Amino acid sequence: MAKAREVEGLEAGDAFGVAAGKVVAVRARELFDHQEGVLDTSDIERVHAMRVASRRLRAVLEIFAPAFPGKELKPILRDVERLADALGARRDPDVQIAHFERLRAALPEADRPGVDEILERLRGEQAAGNERLAAALEEARESRLDERLAALAAGVAA
Amino acid sequence: MKPRRVKRLHPDQRLDDAMERIVAVRLRELCAFMPKAADPAEVQALHDMRIAAKRLRYVLELTHFCFGPYAAKAARRAKELQDLIGEIHDCDVTLPRVLAIQAELREQDAAALVERAGDAPDLDPALSGDAPHADAYRGLETVATHLRARRQLLHARFLDLWTRLQREGFRARLEHAITERPEPDAVFTSPSHPAE
Repeated sequence: MAKAREVEGLEAGDAFGVAAGKVVAVRARELFDHQEGVLDTSDIERVHAMRVASRRLRAVLEIFAPAFPGKELKPILRDVERLADALGARRDPDVQIAHFERLRAALPEADRPGVDEILERLRGEQAAGNERLAAALEEARESRLDERLAALAAGVAA
Repeated sequence: MKPRRVKRLHPDQRLDDAMERIVAVRLRELCAFMPKAADPAEVQALHDMRIAAKRLRYVLELTHFCFGPYAAKAARRAKELQDLIGEIHDCDVTLPRVLAIQAELREQDAAALVERAGDAPDLDPALSGDAPHADAYRGLETVATHLRARRQLLHARFLDLWTRLQREGFRARLEHAITERPEPDAVFTSPSHPAE
């Protein structure tokens, strides 16, 4: 997994509010830069990268919450959480499928039908998770979440 | 689990001073789960401890450059804790699901056998060996046993890791590190983050 993007110009002596703007701006861009190809279930690393980016963004929004106007932050945080949850709904079955495929390969033939029962359900969850993620991405696009995040960051970074 | 509120934070205070307050609260929050989370039966406490480790890790990864050198190491330690407890959590979440699949298949098979029995006054034992999902039972039992055993092993590793952290002086060293301020020329203006 890629390292988090550096926050250029972040300094220990920055005002907490200014630092909040710098950090949130970078983490928000990072999230949306990862959205290409996340619905492709043949490449599970893409959704992983975007999920990690969503966690980092959510974390910094919580860390720096006192620096932002509550009325502006609350709906944005809610929308980021919704997107992060949808990413999790897709990612969790991805991880489980990979785990159970490895386990299946290591078990005797007689154990495999049981593992297949688990895998069948997980693939159903993966498909449902993908639909949920597609809807969440569309919702984020329609609500201009990226622009709202940029505006939130710009509002305190000056 | 809601994070404990960090008091007296305001937009105009220095980043390092604000982060010192935040780390101190997140560290106390994490450590407060022990010794409760050491009990293997305390599943929720362990899950909450993982969230606390994650919160501490993220704040340290972002701002360790504001503090003494142990802060960067503590970020890695928090990640170790989070990852290991995460593996235990996966077992805790997956085991009930596997048991639920077993129960579901048993119900389906019992219904199928009743149907096969038709008007017979009792169930012919010969029918039972050929239940629709009979071949899946063994694998599901194997997976359930695997998850139970893995959970025990990982929990023992978690206890070892916590003991190691205590011996290393994790809490005291981090509490001290966040009061340290590196010399201005040693401050990274562009902090890097460990890999996820």
